[in-house]
Amino acid sequence: MFIRWRIIVIFLLPLVFYSCNNSKNSSNDANVDSDSANNIGFQDHAQKVKKIFYNIPSPIEMSSLMQRAGADYDPSILNRIESAERYNTNSKMALNLGVYGANLSYTRMFDQIQESVNYLSVIRKLSEGLGIPQQPGTFAVSRIEQNIENRDSLLYIITDIYASADIYLKESNRGSTAALIILGGWVEALYIATNIVDYNDPSKEIMERIAEQKYSLNNLIELLKVYENDEIIALYMPLLEKLNATFDKIEIITTKAEIITDSVKKVTSISNQNKINVAIENIKELKTIVTELRKELIK
Amino acid sequence: MKGLVKILFVSALVASFPIMGFSQCKGFTKKQCLPILEPYLYNGQLNSAVLSEGDVAELLLTFYGGQEYRVLVCSQDLIGKVEFKLLDTDRNEIFFNKEHDYTTNWDFNANSTQQLIIQVLVPQGAVKTDIANSGCVSIVVGFKEKYE
Repeated sequence: MFIRWRIIVIFLLPLVFYSCNNSKNSSNDANVDSDSANNIGFQDHAQKVKKIFYNIPSPIEMSSLMQRAGADYDPSILNRIESAERYNTNSKMALNLGVYGANLSYTRMFDQIQESVNYLSVIRKLSEGLGIPQQPGTFAVSRIEQNIENRDSLLYIITDIYASADIYLKESNRGSTAALIILGGWVEALYIATNIVDYNDPSKEIMERIAEQKYSLNNLIELLKVYENDEIIALYMPLLEKLNATFDKIEIITTKAEIITDSVKKVTSISNQNKINVAIENIKELKTIVTELRKELIK
Repeated sequence: MKGLVKILFVSALVASFPIMGFSQCKGFTKKQCLPILEPYLYNGQLNSAVLSEGDVAELLLTFYGGQEYRVLVCSQDLIGKVEFKLLDTDRNEIFFNKEHDYTTNWDFNANSTQQLIIQVLVPQGAVKTDIANSGCVSIVVGFKEKYE
C-alpha cells in the first residue's frame, strides 16, 4: 500500500511543478482581459481571444521611413560606443542592445560603413552578455567585410541578429528581456527622429512620420503591460504614459478605405487617406520627453 | 498494482500534452516560416503560440503608408487549415484567407498609416474527438522598404 502511494507521488509531483510553471508562463502571455480582447466572432462562433500580440516597427523600418521623408545624417546624436562599458546588468544590456540596433539601422541607412562596423561590434558584446547564442558566422568578420559595402546584405545581417535574439529570448521564457530590447530600439529611433527635425524649417513629412508613432507607442505600452510586474519595465512606464499624453494632442483623421484585392498577384491595396494635425510645438514636446526617457535608458 | 501503473501511465501521458505543446513551437518559426517571407524583411518579432481547435489569436500592429507588407500565418499540419483575417480597428474586414483557398500568406499595402489587427482562428475539426488537436501557430510579418 505504501509502495503504491510512493509511485503515485513520484509520477504526479513533476506534473504539479510543470503546471505551476506553465501558469506563470501564461501570466506572462499577452492578457486576454484587456480592452482589445472583446468577444469576437468568426462565422457563428463567439470566441474569446486566447492570445494577443503587439508588434512595434523595427528600428530598420523606422530608419527607412525617416530617410524617405528626407532626414539627414547626424552622428552626434547617437549613443557612444564607449558607453557600452557601463552596461553590466541584464536590463541595461537589453535596453542598449535595442538602442545600438537603432543606431546601426541609422548608420546603415546612410551608408556609414565604419560606424556600422563599430556598432556591430558592440552589439555582439551585448548579445554575448545576455547569453544569446549566435549562429556560427553571424558576427564573423569575414561575413561583415564581404557584405559591408552592400547595403541590402547588411540589412539582412542586422535583421538576422535581432530576429534570432527575439526568437531565442521568447522561446526561453525571457519575454521581458525581449521587450526591453524592443523598448530601447523604439525610444532611440524616436529620439533620432525628433533630433533630426530642422526646427527652423520643419519638414511636414518628417513631422507626420513622427506623429504616426502614436499608434506604435500604444502597441508598445500594451506589450510592456504584459510584464508590468517587472520592476525595470515599471520604471519606464510613467514616462511612456507622459509621451502618450503628448501624442494624444496630435489628431489623425482617417478616411474610410477603399479595398482592392488582386487574387492573381495575392495583394490587397488599402486606399485610405490620413489628415494629420501636428504642430511643431507637439514635436518639441515629444522631443523633450523622449530625450528624458532616452537619458534613463543609456545612463 | 499493474492496473494502477496503467492508470498512472495514461494520466501522465494525457497531462504531458501541454508539455509537448509548449515545446512544439520551439524552432518552428525560424525553420518553417521565415524562409517563406522572402523577399520581405522580417519585422523581427516572434508571435507564436500553441493553439487548439476553436482558439483565436490576434496581432495588433501598424502598417505605414508607402510600405508593403507580407502577412504569413504558419501552422503545424495537425491543426488543419487555419483561418486568418485582416481587420481595421473598428473590426471591419479587409481580407479573409478563407475566400482565397485558405492561403497562408498575403501581401498588403496602404496609402496611409493605420493600426490594423491580424486575427487567426483554428477551426473545429470535422470529427469531434475528446482530445482537441493543438499545434503551433505563428504570425509572421515582413515589410519592404519601397512601395512604387
